[in-house]
Amino acid sequence: MSTIGRNQKSKSDNSTGHFSELLKVEGKLALRTPVGIGTGIGLPVILLIVFGLIGNVEGGTVGNTGLTIIDLWVPTIMVIGFIGISISALPITIVRYREIGWLRRISTTPVPVSRILAAQLVINLIFALATILIVIFGSELIFGAQLSVGIPYFVLSIMLSIAEIFSLGLVLAAVVPTQAAVQPITGGLFFLLLFLSGLWIQPVQVGGVLATIMYYSPAGAAVQALLYSVYNYPPPYTAILTMIGYTVIFAFIAIRYFRWE
Amino acid sequence: MEGVELLGSFQLSESVKSPKAKTEPAIIVRNLVKKYGDFVAVNDVSFSIKEGEIFGIIGPNGAGKTTTVECISGLRVPDSGSVSIFGLSPLKDRNKIRKFLGVQLQQSAMPPRLKVGEAVELFASFYSDPLDPNDLLETLGIKDIKNSMFKNLSGGQKQRLSISLALIGNPRIAILDELTTGLDPEARRETWTLIEGIRDRGVTVILVTHFMDEAERLCDRLALINHGKLGVLDTPEAIAALAGGNRLRFVPSEPVDDKTLYAIPGVTGVERKERYITVTGTGDLAMSVINSLAKIGVHVSDIEARGGNLDDAFVKLTKEEPPNDSRGVAKP
Repeated sequence: MSTIGRNQKSKSDNSTGHFSELLKVEGKLALRTPVGIGTGIGLPVILLIVFGLIGNVEGGTVGNTGLTIIDLWVPTIMVIGFIGISISALPITIVRYREIGWLRRISTTPVPVSRILAAQLVINLIFALATILIVIFGSELIFGAQLSVGIPYFVLSIMLSIAEIFSLGLVLAAVVPTQAAVQPITGGLFFLLLFLSGLWIQPVQVGGVLATIMYYSPAGAAVQALLYSVYNYPPPYTAILTMIGYTVIFAFIAIRYFRWE
Repeated sequence: MEGVELLGSFQLSESVKSPKAKTEPAIIVRNLVKKYGDFVAVNDVSFSIKEGEIFGIIGPNGAGKTTTVECISGLRVPDSGSVSIFGLSPLKDRNKIRKFLGVQLQQSAMPPRLKVGEAVELFASFYSDPLDPNDLLETLGIKDIKNSMFKNLSGGQKQRLSISLALIGNPRIAILDELTTGLDPEARRETWTLIEGIRDRGVTVILVTHFMDEAERLCDRLALINHGKLGVLDTPEAIAALAGGNRLRFVPSEPVDDKTLYAIPGVTGVERKERYITVTGTGDLAMSVINSLAKIGVHVSDIEARGGNLDDAFVKLTKEEPPNDSRGVAKP
């Protein structure tokens, strides 16, 4: 035992030292786990190609929107990326960490266990930003989308979309007890949100009550706000307030019911 | 009156500073009670652990061993009673205590794709004065699997990794729950040597185990917990002796009656078989019996002595006490 020396790299227990180490490890783990990359980045890439090709083949604009298919679906594809990250990757990881006792293990060290959650959020945020860049530049450069992104509107809409959808992911992480339960629950919710985001049909195409439901759903409000923003229009107040409302409710539930073990 | 008090406390604190006198308890557990619903997992358990000793907690499955150490490490909140670690509370001073307390949890997994080296490096970053990760992995014999993912490790490798995470922070107190479960005999012995090395550096170790050979080999003192209650607290030798463990068989040069034998200090039982007499008891039985008999002119031959067996004592002590009964060998 006397052969074991102290660590030469004088590591300190300041918050940056262990947090950067946590980020590094969580980042590596995320890259080794197919589900996060697959649903968070892979799915938007596939959808971008599919809608880009449909748009190029069919041509023309959708209804009286004046937008081509790829133009109209850009916000939907982006929001689906956020949904993939925060509805599958994030809760599956957190529920697993809790179930296998990893959160409990960390809680016996000097590092607060909340840092793991923080590291998870940062890593998933980076994935979300990657998705945004891929969708914006991919749609414009490869599939000829005619966006005119209004930066302030866009930043506001992105921030609210991510806050709202990530909070929903944290609700799942908080209330779903086991890994066995997390797959079917997130799976079902995932497809519901894909529908509400307008993946199969856009609210402008359906109209009526269904369009209203879509606009006031967590996914639809985000899509609507982003749609206005990428064409440099101020997002509707209804969409902004809807997202703020959902964020407050989801965050409250997540904080209220979150268990570390 | 005040002067005397001051002098007394001054002398006490002086003696604590002396490296040899490790008499001040590192951990004090007082009247600990923990219930899960109606089930009383830990029922009024009190003990103290000296700095620098290896303190074993033994008992049958579900006896409350793990709950007891979880109350010490602050993972569980006791229903009543208190725990003090160097004067600090595991609940109120949790942040201070976690800096010098290393914990190995029973049945704790890691993210499946986390590599051995990454886990140890990560935990090293959590502490202000960690051990060198490479040296520790080398000592535990898992340096060559540094790049293996957790999900691909064998039971023994997982156990060694778990031990290394408990020790990487260079703790003053290490709590090890089911230390060598899942290890092969050779790895168990290596781990024991490692733990002795840790103790020799002054680390206080709490060892939860159900292996009596491990308890006998490593522990300075043992607490037996049964049905949530503290049964016995003593050295492994003394506990072994409680089973009537020390045995001495001999042939006397002339007949000796039971009364004479029972009068010998330490003798608690006498059995006869043909010309052999077997006495059981505590302490240095052979010396005591031979000397006492020599005084009355009786010589003994064909002597066979065997030490107490902790396994026998464990079985006897855990069977003797029915649930929720304070009767028995309780020795506070």
